Amino acid sequence: MDHAIEGFGIEKSFKKKRSFRDMLTRPFAAAGQVRALGGVDLSVGTGEIFGLLGPNGAGKTTLIKILACLVLPDAGRALIGGDDVRHENRVKPKLGLVHSDERSFYWRLSGRENLRFFARLYNVPGRRIEGRVDALLEKVDLVEAAPRRFSDYSSGMKQRLAIARALLHDPPVLLMDEPTRSLDPASSRSLRAFIRDELNRRDRKTILLATHNLQEVETLCDRIGILVRGTMRQVGTVPEVRRWGVTERLFRLEVSGWHEPLGGEVRVVSDESVDGVRRITLAVEGEGRLNPLLGGLIARGAVIHACDRLEPDLEEAFARILASEEDRGRS
Amino acid sequence: MTLILAKLWAFMVRDFLSDLSYRFAFVLQLVGMFFMVAVLYFSSRMVNPLTPGLDGVPPFPWLVVGAAFQLYFATALYSFSAKIRGEQVQGTLEAMLVSPTPTSVVIFSSTAWDFAWGALRLVVYLACAVFIFGVHLHVSSPAALGLGIALTLLASAGIGMLSASFILYFKRGDPVNFLLTTSTTFFGNVLFPSKVLPASVQWVSEWVPMSWSLQVVRRSLLQGAGFAELTDPLGRLAVLTAVLVPLGLVGARIAIRRAKREGSLIQY
Repeated sequence: MDHAIEGFGIEKSFKKKRSFRDMLTRPFAAAGQVRALGGVDLSVGTGEIFGLLGPNGAGKTTLIKILACLVLPDAGRALIGGDDVRHENRVKPKLGLVHSDERSFYWRLSGRENLRFFARLYNVPGRRIEGRVDALLEKVDLVEAAPRRFSDYSSGMKQRLAIARALLHDPPVLLMDEPTRSLDPASSRSLRAFIRDELNRRDRKTILLATHNLQEVETLCDRIGILVRGTMRQVGTVPEVRRWGVTERLFRLEVSGWHEPLGGEVRVVSDESVDGVRRITLAVEGEGRLNPLLGGLIARGAVIHACDRLEPDLEEAFARILASEEDRGRS
Repeated sequence: MTLILAKLWAFMVRDFLSDLSYRFAFVLQLVGMFFMVAVLYFSSRMVNPLTPGLDGVPPFPWLVVGAAFQLYFATALYSFSAKIRGEQVQGTLEAMLVSPTPTSVVIFSSTAWDFAWGALRLVVYLACAVFIFGVHLHVSSPAALGLGIALTLLASAGIGMLSASFILYFKRGDPVNFLLTTSTTFFGNVLFPSKVLPASVQWVSEWVPMSWSLQVVRRSLLQGAGFAELTDPLGRLAVLTAVLVPLGLVGARIAIRRAKREGSLIQY
């Protein structure tokens, strides 16, 4: 698989802010360091949507800024399309950064004027600027709002304009830092659909998405990485990460005509009756099979209405990973 | 080169549109310029034309040329740091720095409109002085005048870039700018000749570049001095430019590199 984004042992520490008193009493003492990233390895395939998930202060934004050539790593390598981020002349044309900060535009200028200005910075040739701006305004559905001042835009429109700006030079890689942070649920849903259908599926953009939003990750991402205290703790598809640390598989069984205990090598998590149908949640250890149980029930005249596997919850998996990280910290 | 000029133009258009969006303030500034010239005119009537240091030039032309050019030259001093600080606070610096445009071009181009607006203000001040208050200007050596202005702007830009480096790295303080703006106005023969200062500090004025710049401008515009008579201040300005421009560029480069390493490039 081709990799659009790669990271090998990326490390970054920042100087601690010193208090005024400390500066006065120990003016020549070296400032302490705060580790933001402690050797992050990362690989995002071409055309993939990769979600970077982590609690506040995990290092997501630092990683995005390193990949966007805004911050230099202390150690390790970060590559975009095979080029090291230290060679920003080669890397910057390949990437677009979608800021979550609404202040990154000129509020007194219209949406179109903002895009025209940034098109120049992104080296779009003069004769192509108008066409490119028109096409992008149409793509993000802002044609009618284009002559209006940016300050008059809603949060959703501002975010869509930020995406249009990141696409001005048609980069193959997009870095998105919490793109739906300040949006209402309807706008978030619409933006997520746009990212998935338009940017990823249609335009084949590789997208690295940093977010806290688990729903966003579940609906958008092909794979996710969980960053905790500057270290990548888990990487995998959403179902893989959901199952992390789970030793049992859960099933929901709907059965009628059977009123006895189930028996067999299963653990009953819950058991309730609704309109004469028992809804039983079962936990099966390891690779244990349901066949003997279901076969036994059918043989004794029970009617099986449904038997579904229940996927573990991503939020719970996230909590398990954080808890294991805390355990590691304590030990 | 064409690409850089196109970017420079884009910055000019951006800031022009932004300034124009504050229409009332835009018009007020133009009106304010007329009043400033008027204030200088009536203030100068209190000044004894035989004051030492005026060199036979009537007080009003001496004052208005000094004040107008000082304002223009000061653009190069404060504009770099003010723009960088403004973009940091506004949140737009990061959006610009993530683009393929080099940071040095972003810093330099950000000031394009300030220089253009400063030149326009200079023209308006001088036009008010000439057409309303009857000042007689004669450019005997356009080359010497142009060279003097260019060298002053370049030298000031060098200091301005050093000042912007302070902003990029330390975020606040900007001691270079503060020290230079105040000392320049006080010792630079801007609003009064240095000869009216106490004798013990008059020598400071000899070391303030603004004194040399205004000497070129006043003698050229008001006394008809030619190239040959201006070689001394022009030579000093050339040496200063040769030192300050590389210093400013190196300072900015170091500051950007360090700020990127420390992750503070876009913090404020």
